Order: sequence, then structure tokens, then C-alpha cells
Amino acid sequence: MTPGAVVRLLAVVAGLLLLDQTVGLDLRVAGAHPELMWLLPVGAALAGGIRVGAVVGFLAGMAVDLVLPTPMGLSALVGCLLGAGVGRVVAGADHDAWWVAPVAGAAGTAAAVMLYAVLGAVLGQEQMLRVDLGAVVAVVAVVNALAARPVCRIMAWALGPAAASGRRRRARARRLVRP
Amino acid sequence: MALRRRSRRTLPTMSRTPRSRRTVATVVVLVLVSLTVITVDQTGRTHDLTAGVRSVANDVFSPLRQAVDDVVRPLGDFFAGAVHYGALQRENENLRATVGRLDQQLAQRSFDVQQLRQLTTLEHLPFVGSLPTVPAQVTALDMSNFDADVAIDKGRDDGVTVGMPVVGSGGLVGVVVEASHTQATVQLVTDGQSRVGVTFGGRQASYATVAGEGPGQPLAALFVAPGTPLHRGEVMATNGLAGASFPPGIPVGRVASFSTPSGADQMTVRVDPAADLAHLTYVDVVQWQPTP
Repeated sequence: MTPGAVVRLLAVVAGLLLLDQTVGLDLRVAGAHPELMWLLPVGAALAGGIRVGAVVGFLAGMAVDLVLPTPMGLSALVGCLLGAGVGRVVAGADHDAWWVAPVAGAAGTAAAVMLYAVLGAVLGQEQMLRVDLGAVVAVVAVVNALAARPVCRIMAWALGPAAASGRRRRARARRLVRP
Repeated sequence: MALRRRSRRTLPTMSRTPRSRRTVATVVVLVLVSLTVITVDQTGRTHDLTAGVRSVANDVFSPLRQAVDDVVRPLGDFFAGAVHYGALQRENENLRATVGRLDQQLAQRSFDVQQLRQLTTLEHLPFVGSLPTVPAQVTALDMSNFDADVAIDKGRDDGVTVGMPVVGSGGLVGVVVEASHTQATVQLVTDGQSRVGVTFGGRQASYATVAGEGPGQPLAALFVAPGTPLHRGEVMATNGLAGASFPPGIPVGRVASFSTPSGADQMTVRVDPAADLAHLTYVDVVQWQPTP
């Protein structure tokens, strides 16, 4: 990753965290608000593959952990697994198809929210499983499905050459898989 | 066998190329780093370090959040006001009526408060009305979907430190759990991790622990023995027992419902928070620290 990409990436992480913690908090449905930060590892995985997705997920999660009174490192762990998981699942998919980003955004972030709640409960935060988890998952998944394409484009811009090399690798992999 | 041969020929497996090995190594390292951070934080031995790092992060982040809020909120309020004009007018009228009733009650109770202060002084108990407070504005509400907490615009520079009780809007709001130089995070009484020792029942005082059940949920009063005299609307207030986390006499909630399941060794008591936690704007941080 080039220094320019790192600066752009940090700016995107900070910007989306600000958006989450200002406008996002006012957009509540059934008591739940969107969590756009989970889209960063998804976008990074789609643009740059498993490794980039994991790194960006770790960074985005750590940023959340630093600002919110959540268990330190939990968001980083879930973000890392989300980025790696999405990168692995979509490895052979055609990323230019219009539905890939929204489906990956919705399914990936829904899984991440559930994993976050379960791991939080394991770490002694039992209240994470007492909240209306269905409402939280639904709100986060729907909003992230809608926001997935723009966020993925922003991530592709932020990652620059890393995203381009990831695209080339995936195109090569698709050629190998096709009969 | 045939299937295995075909999959080897067509699918690019992760474990063969150096790039794939590097990818796996990166993911494993990041997971291990995350697990280490979680473990270190959970043991509490480096709590000062993590609290310090969070404090710095919040000192940087809070002004940015405030700036964005200052730009975005008026716009949101303008559109919300235009859409909900009728409801806002009705709410305004209701609030005026409530203020009138509260003024009347305040006048009636000033004598009672005076007497109570004298009594608590005699009993050498700290009464929240006589303790110094720091007024603060709520800047963010329920910042995570899984915690009941608020951010306030006062921090260590204003004398707000971790462990101080926060009151407002009719009762106990919560306790300060994190404080940076310029802002603090308050864990609400409804948070699943919140526990408050309370007393109720007038002359025959009973004691219980009020536990949070999550954002927007009623509280639960624990350890209430079957047969304890109780009635709906009864106020539960902080008990201020030795080593308590709160000074005595702060209303925590009102009994909403109670029952005793057959064979149970304690009553099931639901309590509505005394403070209106859904509409917090201003709160008071009580500069009181629990005695060890």
C-alpha cells in the first residue's frame, strides 16, 4: 500500500466514523441505528481481496474501539474476520455485477453484528444478547445494502493501486476457474 | 478421487502460492493481535494504558464530532420541525403545562427539602442537593446499538472523573465510565452492566439491587424477598450504604409491576427509570466519589 493510499484510507475511516456517530445516531428505526463502519472491510475485500479486507477491517474496528466504550479489540477482531471472510467468499465472483456489493454488504454486516454480539456476551457483556438483535441486524443490513455501492467505490479510490492489483488477481483466478 | 483431481486442476487453493501464504499469515497475525488486545484489556492490568489511549482518541474525535453535529443538526431539526410542526406545537403546550405543575410542586416541597437537608446533615449523610455538581450537555445518545450510554461535553478539565454519579431529568441517569480532558461517557442505569443499590418502603426500609436490562428496557429489581411490602409507583432511591457507588437519596425508578413466581426465592420486580432517559439534553455530574 502506498503512503498516499494509507492517508486516503485513514481519512475514509475517520470520515465514516464521524458520519456513523453524528448523522447515523439520529437515524433510528426500532431503537437501532445504522453501523456503516462494517462496510469498510466489505468494500476493501471487494476492491483488494482477503488480505486488504482483513487489514482494513482491523483498522476500522480499532478506530471504533478507541472511540466507543466497547471491549477493546472486539470490533477489530470482528472487522478483520469480516474482511477476510467476504474476500474469501467473493473470490471467484464477478465484482462488476451490480448485486455483489449490496448482497455482500447486507450479508457480511449482518453476520458481523451477530458475531460481535455473541463474542461480546462471551466476554461478559451479556446485555449484548438481551437487546433486540433482530432489529439491529435488520437495520444495519438494510442500510448497508443501500450504502454498499458508494462505500465500495470510495474504498476502491482510497486503496488505489492495491485495489487495482486485487482486481487483476481476481480476474486471473476467474479465468482459471472457468472451464 | 476424480472430484479431488478436478478440484486441484481448476480451483486456486490458498495454501500453495507465496501470496496466499502471506495472506493467511496476515489474517492470523491480525486475529492474534486482536485477541491479545482483548485479553489484556479484560484482565484489567493495563486498564490505565487503554483508558489513556481512549482518552487521547476521544480528545481528538470529540471536537470533530461536535463540529459535524453543529453543521448537521440544525439542518435535521429544520426538516424535522417542518414535517412535525403540529406534534411539536402539542408537545410545547404539554411541556408548558408540566412546567406549571412542577413549579407548584416545587413551591410545596421546598419546606420538605429544607427539613430533609437538616436531617441528613444530622445523620452525617451526603445529600445530593448539598454536593457540588457540574452541569453538562449531552452530545450523543446511545452511541452503540448494544450499550445504553451517552456522551457529555465535560471531562477531566472540568472536574469530571470516572465513578461520579450523573443525575438529571427527574432522577439518577448513570455513572461516568470514561473521562477524557474535554468529554466523558456516562453508562446509563438501563445499561446491561449497570447495578445500583436501592432502598424503598419508608419506615420499614427494604434493600434491593436495580439492574439494567438494555437500552429502552425497564429496570429489574433483584434480591427482593417474597412478601416484601411493595406497591406500584413506589420510588426506589439509592441507599448510600457503606461502600456504595452512589450517595443516598437519588431516585432511581418507580415500581411498574411485581409478582412472585411460585417456588421462587425472590420477587420479579420491573422498575421504570425515574429519569427520562430517552430525552436527555442536560445533566448534572455529582462530584462525589465512593468511599473505598
